[in-house]
Amino acid sequence: MNGMDHSEPILDLEVVAELRASTGDDDEFLRDLVATYVDEVTSHLDAMASAIDAGDPEAIVRPSHTLKSSSASVGALRLAAICRGIEAAGREARADRLAEDVELARATWAATLDALRRAELVA
Amino acid sequence: MTAAAPVALIVDDSPVNRKLLARHLESLGIESREAGDGRTALEMLRAEGTDVAVVLLDIVMPEMDGYATLEAIKAEESLRHLPVIMISGVDELDSVVRCIELGAMDYLPKPFNPAVLEARIRASLAGKRLHDLEVESAERQAELLRTIERQKDELSRFFSPQVAALVSSPEGHQLLAGHRRVATSLFADLRGFTSFSERADPEEVLGVLRQYHETMGALIVERGGTLEHFAGDGMHVFFNDPIPQDDHVERAVRMAIDMRDQFDVLAAGWTKRGYQLGFGVGIATGFSTLGRIGFEGRYDYGMVGFAVITAARLSSVAAGGQILLSPRSHADIEDLVVAEPVGEITLKGFSRPIAPVNVLRMRDVDGSTAESADEGRPVGA
Repeated sequence: MNGMDHSEPILDLEVVAELRASTGDDDEFLRDLVATYVDEVTSHLDAMASAIDAGDPEAIVRPSHTLKSSSASVGALRLAAICRGIEAAGREARADRLAEDVELARATWAATLDALRRAELVA
Repeated sequence: MTAAAPVALIVDDSPVNRKLLARHLESLGIESREAGDGRTALEMLRAEGTDVAVVLLDIVMPEMDGYATLEAIKAEESLRHLPVIMISGVDELDSVVRCIELGAMDYLPKPFNPAVLEARIRASLAGKRLHDLEVESAERQAELLRTIERQKDELSRFFSPQVAALVSSPEGHQLLAGHRRVATSLFADLRGFTSFSERADPEEVLGVLRQYHETMGALIVERGGTLEHFAGDGMHVFFNDPIPQDDHVERAVRMAIDMRDQFDVLAAGWTKRGYQLGFGVGIATGFSTLGRIGFEGRYDYGMVGFAVITAARLSSVAAGGQILLSPRSHADIEDLVVAEPVGEITLKGFSRPIAPVNVLRMRDVDGSTAESADEGRPVGA
């Protein structure tokens, strides 16, 4: 895992602002988008945990990739960075730290959800 | 959906990205369909392929990833033309290169920039429209060609095949407008036909004519003659136009001999039924004018000139079984035919007499036909 993880903000408000502006300053749409994000995160985290339980690091690539992508879209950059590291480790079949990293991703997700609530993007 | 709104298919396993892209596309006036994996996308495309104008395709997906989906789209005839834009993160540029090699048109970097998205989508839709126009234009052209072929086919029922082909050929207009060329004219008609047609039943007369036209028509086609017209028992056929024929005199003479032979077969049947008919031919060669002759509403592709008049007059003085050849035509193929002089004849309307010959038969190159024993050998043979 690279040292960049903790340098990224949990929620980049600049990204959120750009997102809001580029989608027509429509708060309803933005909240709907974030709700969609919140819905998908848990399933990706669960899929990643299952891959570790199954001892199949390659199976971690797709959920970590998708979560990375979705997280980056809504400004959850730290979670995106952690997922990028997990995806890379999965591709190279480096299983040594994957369990810890997935735990870190889960903890980061809790912090991200808090930040989204504070930004009034999640009810 | 309205026909005016183009449709994009978004193929991405991230619902967030799909929703975001759909939102951006909506602001561009583009309708979206969504698929969470490649397999679903292909099923949708096969079901409504012509409806979708552009595909936005993620690379890493469950079930069927972007590579496999792209390959499947490009391998399918009905989908191959669809522009595919890859959706890619900054860390996936190597994969994008591979996708472009596989036939993707462009890529769209994540996170999405609305301006970049618009530019790429517009370019792809323009490409798709161009392709659709090309397909449409090719279809129209094929339809046009089919129409021309059909017309040619119809025309050839009314005109000789050469003239039918000429009408639809690139140089047709010029040739139809008129030109001058050396050509050979052949007139033929039946002796005794007028009195036969006055005595016999109309059905009988038309029956005889039908047989006669069928037989002679086949020989004209066989020798590549251009039939100007059948008029009752008479016909005018010419050679070396519109299709050039170096051997136009020989063709005319060979056709005349075939016609005389075939006529003998037909006449044997008619004689049994009590009709005495004969067949006479006149052939002449000369510089002539050829082209469209007639008036608005009824044109023939015709030949006019001294050779035509000569051939017509020779035909009218020919006795049954005679093939009268003008001196000019005879000079052209003297070595090829066995002919006998018939003396000088002053044709109607001609100030000076001419000396045509009567063609008996073709001379074999080695002069070895059974009947050639009592005939003169070719000069120099």
